[in-house]
Amino acid sequence: MSGCRPLIAGLLLLVGGAAAGLFGSLLGLGGGILLVPLMTLVFGLPLREAVAISLVSVVVTSSASAAVYLERHVANLRLGMTLELFSAAGALVGGLVAFVLSDRLLAGLFAALITWVAISMARRKDPPKGAPASPAPAAMPATGTVTAGGALVDSLSGDGYRIHGLGIGVGGSVVAGLASALLGVGGGIVKVPVMNLGMGVPLRVATATSNMMMGITAVSSAVIYLLRGEIDPFVAGPIALGVFIGASTGPRIASRIDTRVLRWMFVLVLAYTASQMVRKAAGL
Amino acid sequence: MSGVPVRPTADAASMERLIGRLLIGGTYVAMASTLIGVGLMLAGGTDPLAHGAIPPFHPATVLADLLALRPLGFLWSGVILVILLPIGRVAVAGVGFLAARDRRMAGISLLVLLVVLISVAAALGLEG
Repeated sequence: MSGCRPLIAGLLLLVGGAAAGLFGSLLGLGGGILLVPLMTLVFGLPLREAVAISLVSVVVTSSASAAVYLERHVANLRLGMTLELFSAAGALVGGLVAFVLSDRLLAGLFAALITWVAISMARRKDPPKGAPASPAPAAMPATGTVTAGGALVDSLSGDGYRIHGLGIGVGGSVVAGLASALLGVGGGIVKVPVMNLGMGVPLRVATATSNMMMGITAVSSAVIYLLRGEIDPFVAGPIALGVFIGASTGPRIASRIDTRVLRWMFVLVLAYTASQMVRKAAGL
Repeated sequence: MSGVPVRPTADAASMERLIGRLLIGGTYVAMASTLIGVGLMLAGGTDPLAHGAIPPFHPATVLADLLALRPLGFLWSGVILVILLPIGRVAVAGVGFLAARDRRMAGISLLVLLVVLISVAAALGLEG
């Protein structure tokens, strides 16, 4: 029976990664928010190791989705590259700070993040049936006026919209980079609202651009975890493979799934996970 | 300063297509390497959750492990390829911007790569 143990463990990691990738893609989140609790609370991995492996998975998801978004010209490459300079810098700082923070403090920070995500998802309004998730970028009205910002703002704006609040975007990107490096998440939960509400970027473009940015942001701290010996390839392999399969399957079955039910299930899972992370942070 | 939003030019569109193909192709290669590594790991009876200490990452041994068909060679190759993909994406975009004489965006690409380089240097410095 003990001969089957490696196979069972490998399959469990693969299925866990696939579930995280699938739920993440169906709900518009990176898999990290589910992967880190899965690896720490279910598989018993140290939090820092789980964060490191989650970052590798975030890069896989980002590369696969950014490829599609760029080929379809949905992501704003110029804006994304400008903001990712700051998210990568935040991730660099976060990657270094992560090694001086205790596991308990990291667990507390993760609990706070999960609680925020759960509340955001519970308050999210569903679009009317049959309506697109967000308008196509070209259909969005141009926002802002000709006055402030100048050539830089013009060059970072896209087809049918003009950005504003570049400073908000820069600040949000630094915060997203820090959160990504410390907690092993993509940071889309910060970047998408900042770009959409703070900078006037259409939701669909903001989501695509944020997805593209996640890759280099996660890499900036993943190399620190890699070179400091925190990435376990025996765990990262099946998890990354599972996430890739799950995230690729999500868009194909999304139209057949009632995302409202899924969202509320997810809120409950997040609430339970947050309580477990609080227990971990409290040392219980 | 026109205030008119910028539409992607034909050059920019073809660069985005090129980057998209690089990312998706690279992701498939990385996942294929990872799949082989996972298969070899399980066939060899290594328990991913109970194998002892994390194996250290030595770039010099990855090729030897690959040639010897050891799982670590394929697993590390997968991880390294995954990490290299966004770096490649920024580098290709930087070259594209340079070719289009867009010095500002080429400079931003270079700065992004510099941040990654500082991460590597910082990690190596902490290790030493």
